[in-house]
This record gives sequence, C-alpha cells and structure tokens, in this order.
Amino acid sequence: MTCEHCPLENSRENLLEASNLSKRFKSRGTLKTALDNVTFCVPRGSLTVILGPAGAGKTTALRLLAGLEKEDAGSIVLDGLNMSGVEPRARDVAMIFDNLALYPNKTGFGNMASPLRERRLPAQEIERRVRDVAAKLRILHILDRLPGTMSGGERQRVAMGRVLVRSPRLFLLDEPLSSLDAPLRIELRAEIKRLQREQGHTFLMATPDFSEAMAIADTVILLREGQVLQTAAPQELYDCPVDSEAARFVGAPQINILPAFYNEGRVRTAGISFPVPDRIALTVANLPLEGFLLGLRPENIRLESVTSTVNDGWAKIIDVEAMGLRRSITIEQQGAHIRVLTDALRGEDFSIGQRVVWRPVDTERLLVFSRKGGKNLLRPNTA
Amino acid sequence: MAPRKLGIPLAVVMGAGLAFTLFPIFWLVMTAIKPPIDWNASPAVWLPSCPTFINFLTLFDPDAIREYGVGGVSQSATAAVFGSILASVASTCISVCIGLFSAIGISRYSKGSRSTPLVILSGRMFPPAAIAVPFVIIFSTVSLIDSYVGLIAVYVAVTLPFSTWMLKSFVDDLPREIEEAAMLDGMTRVKAHLTVTIPLIKGGLFSTTMLVFILNWSEFMFALVLSYSNISTIPVQLSKYVTATAGTLYGVQAALAVLAMLPLVAGGFLIQGHLARGMTFGAIKQ
Repeated sequence: MTCEHCPLENSRENLLEASNLSKRFKSRGTLKTALDNVTFCVPRGSLTVILGPAGAGKTTALRLLAGLEKEDAGSIVLDGLNMSGVEPRARDVAMIFDNLALYPNKTGFGNMASPLRERRLPAQEIERRVRDVAAKLRILHILDRLPGTMSGGERQRVAMGRVLVRSPRLFLLDEPLSSLDAPLRIELRAEIKRLQREQGHTFLMATPDFSEAMAIADTVILLREGQVLQTAAPQELYDCPVDSEAARFVGAPQINILPAFYNEGRVRTAGISFPVPDRIALTVANLPLEGFLLGLRPENIRLESVTSTVNDGWAKIIDVEAMGLRRSITIEQQGAHIRVLTDALRGEDFSIGQRVVWRPVDTERLLVFSRKGGKNLLRPNTA
Repeated sequence: MAPRKLGIPLAVVMGAGLAFTLFPIFWLVMTAIKPPIDWNASPAVWLPSCPTFINFLTLFDPDAIREYGVGGVSQSATAAVFGSILASVASTCISVCIGLFSAIGISRYSKGSRSTPLVILSGRMFPPAAIAVPFVIIFSTVSLIDSYVGLIAVYVAVTLPFSTWMLKSFVDDLPREIEEAAMLDGMTRVKAHLTVTIPLIKGGLFSTTMLVFILNWSEFMFALVLSYSNISTIPVQLSKYVTATAGTLYGVQAALAVLAMLPLVAGGFLIQGHLARGMTFGAIKQ
C-alpha cells in the first residue's frame, strides 16, 4: 500500500488511505461538486490537517470518512479495511463536529460518558475514564452542568472530552477551535497537539486557519474547490507552494505576487531591479517575453526612508498596521501595492504618506510562478 | 425568565383582550348551569338566579330535565362521550406516530425529490366536503361506515399531513449532527433517532399531539356523515339537542360543550411546561 501523495510514506505506515474520493450534492436543482477526485492519506500516529477556505470540501471529506455521507466514487481504506458501506458506528472513528453537537439534555458527564455507555463498559470504568479525561482538559468542575450553562470554551472541551474518552482508530476534528477567542484557541490547539502526541493517537483536523495548521500539523493537505492543491509538511508548504494560489493561502500578511522580468542577472519589478541568485536566474532566464510572477513574502522586504529631494524610484506608504512586535506596512509603487512586514522595535518609525525605497532581502527565498496558471517554477519536476 | 412588570396601559389593553376572548366561554359556562327558564330569557340573564346541575344530569339521564317541564331527547350522551374519546385518542396516537416517523424520514433521508412533502400535503387541498361523499360511498361498500374503525381511518388520513408537516419542522430545526454524534458514539440509526432525536423534539411532539387531538375532538362533518346509529361523537351529539316541543335545549348543549372543553384545558395545562422553546440550547456553538 503506497500513496504517491504522501511525503511521509516511507517513514510511517498509513492508517488511512482515501483514494479518488468524489462527492456531489444536489442543491436547488443543480449539482454542486464538493469533492473532486481527492486522494490523500494519514500516517498512523500523525496529526494531519486539511487546510482550505470555506467551501473547499473539508467538512465533506471528514463526513465521508466518518461514514455520515456516502461517496459517489473512490475508496476509503482505514487500518487496512475497506470502509465502503460500513456504518458510522462500526468504523471506530470519533468526530468533533464544527458545531460541537453536544446532547443538550445531558450533563457534561453524560455527554462524555455517552460513547462508553454505548459500549456497555462498567459504571466504575466509565466514571474513571471520564474523570481522567476531564482532569486533562481541566473541566472537572463542569461535569454536572448542562451544555446550556457552559461557556463556549467549556463546551468545546466537553466535545473534545467526548471523543477522547475512548481510543478510536482515527479522530476527525472539524474546525474544533473556530469561534473561540484567540488566547483560548492557542491554548487549546497546544492541548490538542499535546494529547495527540502523548497518546500516540491519529488526528485528522480540518481548519481554514493556516496559522493553526502551521502550528500543530505534521502534514498539511491543502484543499481548494474540492481538489487537493498540495500535500506537504507545513514549512515546505510555506517555502515551496505548488502554485501562486497555495502561496496566497499560506502566510499573513499575504505574499506579494508581482509581474516581473529578467534581464542579465537582475529581476525588474514594480519600479525596482535587483540581482537574484543563480538558481532563480537559471529558471527564469529562458522564459518567454511575457515574463513571470515573482512571489515575495512580506517579511523578506526591507524599507528605508528617503528624502523628498530624490526624484524617482521611491514608493509611498499607504497603510500602517501595528501588530505588536511587528508592523504590517503597505506601500505603493508604479501602481503595485506591496505588503511589508517590519520589525517594530528596531529601525525607523514609518507613517502613512512617507516616501521609502524597498528592496528584497533573503533573495534565496523568492518564489517564481509562471505567468499563466501560476505554477511554481522552482519546484522540481513540475510540468 | 423573570416575571415582567406590566405597565398600566398594557394591562388595560390585555385585560380588554382577555375579556373579549373569554366572554363566550363565560357565557357558555353560565348557560350550562342555568335552569331552562333562564336559557333564552329576555333581557338576558347574566348570572343564573338559581344555579343547577340539571343540564349535566340530563346529558346522561335524558328524562331528568322533565322536572322543569321541558321535553327531553331520547338519547343519552354517554355513547357520544366514549365515542369521542375512542375516536380522538386512537386516531391522534396513530396519526402522530406515523407522522413522527415520516417526519424523521423526510427530514433526514429524503433524497432528490423535494416534492414528497408537498404530495403529502396535497390531500389537504380539497375541502373536506368534497371528499366526504366519496368516503361515504367507499366505506358503504367495504362495510366501514358507521364503525369506529372507519371513523378513525378517516381522522388519521385527514390529520396525518398536519402531524407530518408540523413534526418535520421540529426535526428540521434539530441539528442533524447531534444524531450523527450519537451514531459515532456507537448507536444504530434507529437507536439514535429513538433515544436522541425524539426526546429532543419532545416539545414539538406534545404540541403536535395537542393540535391533532383538538382537530379530531372537534371534527363534525365526517362524524356526521359516517355515523348512523352505532357510533357517535360529542360534536354530532351536540346537534341532536333540538326537540319538537321545547326547541333547542341550550342549557344541555352548553353543559356538553363545557364537558368537551375540559380535556383540552387540562391537556393544555399539562403540556404547558414542555412547550418552551430552546430545548437544544447549548447543543451547538452559536
């Protein structure tokens, strides 16, 4: 069993292999494609994240894996067993729904005990396991309360507790942290990662938030409009996205993608020109006249203020956003808007309207995309 | 919810509304305890001069009223009361049970055709009078006329679209993920629906049952045309208190109407606590 899309295929065995999954829904008379020939796999004991914007098909993918929807085509192999036609309860997967779906008429304890009661465990064992998990999630104090009286974060933990009390083959988490406030989100995502690693569980989590994916994922499956754009480790996804779409989705502020031309060792874009490393020069030297798209991460740009006596070659600051340690600055030159991330503690103070010059640093990290289709031209073996 | 203090203007408006709504009921109850002399006295007697239970007595002993010099009707209302209870309870139970499972089926498993629920409702597009005559003819042929089985069958047929639609709206409101979570917890589909879906739409179930029961309890036309002598219901019995000698026995009619109101009032009070909205509060994130 191999999966060509899996970067980790050699290091770990795959727990889940989903091949060529397709699913279409009928809505208002028209067929809408939710998943289009999607293939991915999840290595045993890993935390894999399905990353994608709203409507990319993340939830549909999880629902197919849980057996709550039936795939139109394709196959799901879980732990070596073909799951086609297998009822949800027989699949031995647990799922946290994006709306949590707690039992409103059961207490925190009742909610968490439910999967164990279904399996007819002795009452003492249930009590022990629920208290154990509740202690880990720090929700012992709300076990006898109804979900209606809990805060959002407490409900989230109860939902998490309900799946953690047992040890299914696979945990499916559908945006488990959305709609929580930022500090709690960061705390809980660290907790998810910790629980997953400590217990050696296999997690598949869907999220639209790239920073969440970057923070905890072993592998990221980037999904867009029902298709897998790229499967990669988080850093690889960031450094070497498959195309300009993938590059735009990963990173904040968003990557700058500018039309550029190459001439004798230098790249010219948005009114400036600068030398590029040989690796990039070799790639772009033979491109046709239309040039290429240059991908420039905001953190790889430096700004310097200029005196107003300089006549041309400067950019104007049109927006400054304070972000604590860093500042997100938008500059404009020759009609192009360029996002820059600067260190707020060092260097100059920049303000709106100020004239600056900018230059790329770390040019090794530049990305080059084809003008048509936006393919990453620096990636090996891209057609 | 904490009790709210009522402002004086609002209290006046609501008081007037209440008086307007409750006046017919007040009049009905008063008439039920009036002796025959006060029934249609002119000017009207608001409060009976000497309240009596003779009207109620007459319901079950048709000759009791004769002591007031009024000619009675021959038939006791006992059969009608039991007939009404039998027909309404049985048809309501059947209608709500079938409706509940259809509602879950349509809400959760209906594929493709969005018109299925409309087809169910289409039976209600005909005025009852239009289908009453065919029913009489068909039921005569298959010997269902003048029998409770026939009457119950008609009541179920007539109220099933209501119960299905009403319950469907409650099932639709329940996030399906709650049932799906139950299935992933290890329940079969059937068990998830029985132990999760149904308890969570309890309020809807009670109010639907109440509505269907009221429809059946007060149904007149089908009961009239489908009954000869074997069966009777309260609404049909009410129409029988017209005598050749004494005209309409308003007091006796009122007494039967008061009796007929009792189960509805009692039922209303009983389910009041279960009608509260927000049964699923806390189940989902928002």
